[in-house]
Amino acid sequence: MNWLALTSLMPLLLVASISVILLLLLAFIRDHKLTCWITCLGLAMAAFWAFADMGDAPQQVTPLLIMDDFSRLLGGTVLLVSLACGWMSYTYLETADEIREEYYILLSLAALGACVLVASNHFASMFIGLELMSVSLFAMVGYMAHSKQQANMTLEAGVKYMVLSGVSSSFLLFGVALIYAYAGNLNIDLLVAAEGPRLQSGYLVIGSALLLVGVAFKMSWIPFHMWTPDVYQGAPAPVTGFLAGAVKVAVFAFAMRWLMMAQGGYLDLLLLGLTVMAVLSMVVGNLLALRQNNLKRLLGYSSIAHMGYIIVTLAASATLGAAALSTALEAAAIYLITYASMTMLAFAVISQLAAQDRRFESGTLAHYQGLLYQQPLLAGALMLAMLALAGMPLTAGFIGKYYLVLVAVDSQLWLLLSLLVLGSSLGLYYYLRVILVLCKTPVGDSRLTLGASEKLLLTLLVAVTLWLGLYPTPAIQWVQLAIQ
Amino acid sequence: MDSQYIDHAMVLAGILFCLGLVGVMVRRNLLFMMISIEVMLNAAGLAFIAAGSAWGQPEGQIMFLAVITLGAAEVAVGLGLTLLLFRHHNSVNVDQLNQLRG
Repeated sequence: MNWLALTSLMPLLLVASISVILLLLLAFIRDHKLTCWITCLGLAMAAFWAFADMGDAPQQVTPLLIMDDFSRLLGGTVLLVSLACGWMSYTYLETADEIREEYYILLSLAALGACVLVASNHFASMFIGLELMSVSLFAMVGYMAHSKQQANMTLEAGVKYMVLSGVSSSFLLFGVALIYAYAGNLNIDLLVAAEGPRLQSGYLVIGSALLLVGVAFKMSWIPFHMWTPDVYQGAPAPVTGFLAGAVKVAVFAFAMRWLMMAQGGYLDLLLLGLTVMAVLSMVVGNLLALRQNNLKRLLGYSSIAHMGYIIVTLAASATLGAAALSTALEAAAIYLITYASMTMLAFAVISQLAAQDRRFESGTLAHYQGLLYQQPLLAGALMLAMLALAGMPLTAGFIGKYYLVLVAVDSQLWLLLSLLVLGSSLGLYYYLRVILVLCKTPVGDSRLTLGASEKLLLTLLVAVTLWLGLYPTPAIQWVQLAIQ
Repeated sequence: MDSQYIDHAMVLAGILFCLGLVGVMVRRNLLFMMISIEVMLNAAGLAFIAAGSAWGQPEGQIMFLAVITLGAAEVAVGLGLTLLLFRHHNSVNVDQLNQLRG
């Protein structure tokens, strides 16, 4: 490994060093604020490094990892999401009756796993990255297990996530083993597979299908979504933010590498499976969201629907092949970035509210009644997040959805396009319902306080969500640069 | 290895995998669910070893080591959760986890 390769790997090394530094530090000093600062600073530096490197030549670091502009862009996005997650965790953990500092070690390990997953172009590194992320997340989801008020829910969510994540990892691994039996090589790109006694392509077909099932579990595509609403509701709010933002971005980035950039799967079969999952996720996800009465659960179903929408890009590149590839990649990357920004905004608001009263995350929507008059800044930010998730113009959500429609029209996927439109209009109902609740007359007169650092975080997230919607040109140019 | 035998090995791995999957779905005891997941993971490991030996490459065995490591990591966290579950409910039956629904 030469010096250039080492420096291009710097974002990953920085994130890895956070966890080591924290482990050593916690042996001597237990200080929540210091721990949080180190984590956030490290993640910010890593994200900055990743974005600053953009435009440099791609670096293949050992056969396992590739640091090209695609890895830098989406890796940087994952790191920024983790940064927001660490930032919003501070007030949340400060009010928890639980040991606080170890949480940040798990967070930095999960962020490292997500970055490895984004940068992998070998099944071994994909698997290690995915598991590093998942195993850290088991512990994060079940983190509040000693807290008196949260123990039951967080424990239930943790157990459910662990069991289903374990099952999905086994599917994924078995699929990779079969693909390896066919190709004789663990490289994601089958075009560079070894010459030799190629086994029957049946191995490739079944292997690709099993690998897709493993990915679908993590992306919570219906019918592999069973864990999503429960885990979203039960996990601590900042962890749910990480699950909704970083995990989805990282796993979909792998799916893009596997199915779009490398064409490493058996696409004809997968196209059928992808279409079925897209249809189910868009329709059922939105329908089930209609009658949810807990905001985190509602966002869980909404994320199922959103992840259903993004399958359009995979289906487009599978139908049209190389012709639609660059548009589809661009649309997918922009959609992921806009989705991450608005989801993090929503969960930042929920975390700040839950930090003061846990009923905001565990109870019904009625707790949010009249929030606009009690805490205008938080309520306004939540409204913006809801409008963005609904895909309103002038917000980030519109740009993402616009690109998806563009791709669907380009590749003439009329079924998926009509369901996308139908799903979005259904979505409008339940997003607007949340806004309506926020605007009603308040029941109590409880005043909520908001610290300076939380205000700054919310302002930044609001600014990103609006900026991506009002003036998306720079972001789009960046994405185009990364796709080239 | 003869390609005939790799098919046999793959069928065996597939059967083990299905047995593990059925185990996860039927069992209500968290410990046994984790053992079933372990069976599924090791079925994938067996498939890796068979494929690696058919190609005469070490990659299959390296992946098997990675699989074992993952299994150990998952069990470490899983046992922690199992202990907590036992402390809260005095049993490790997952049917008690029924608060989140809708």
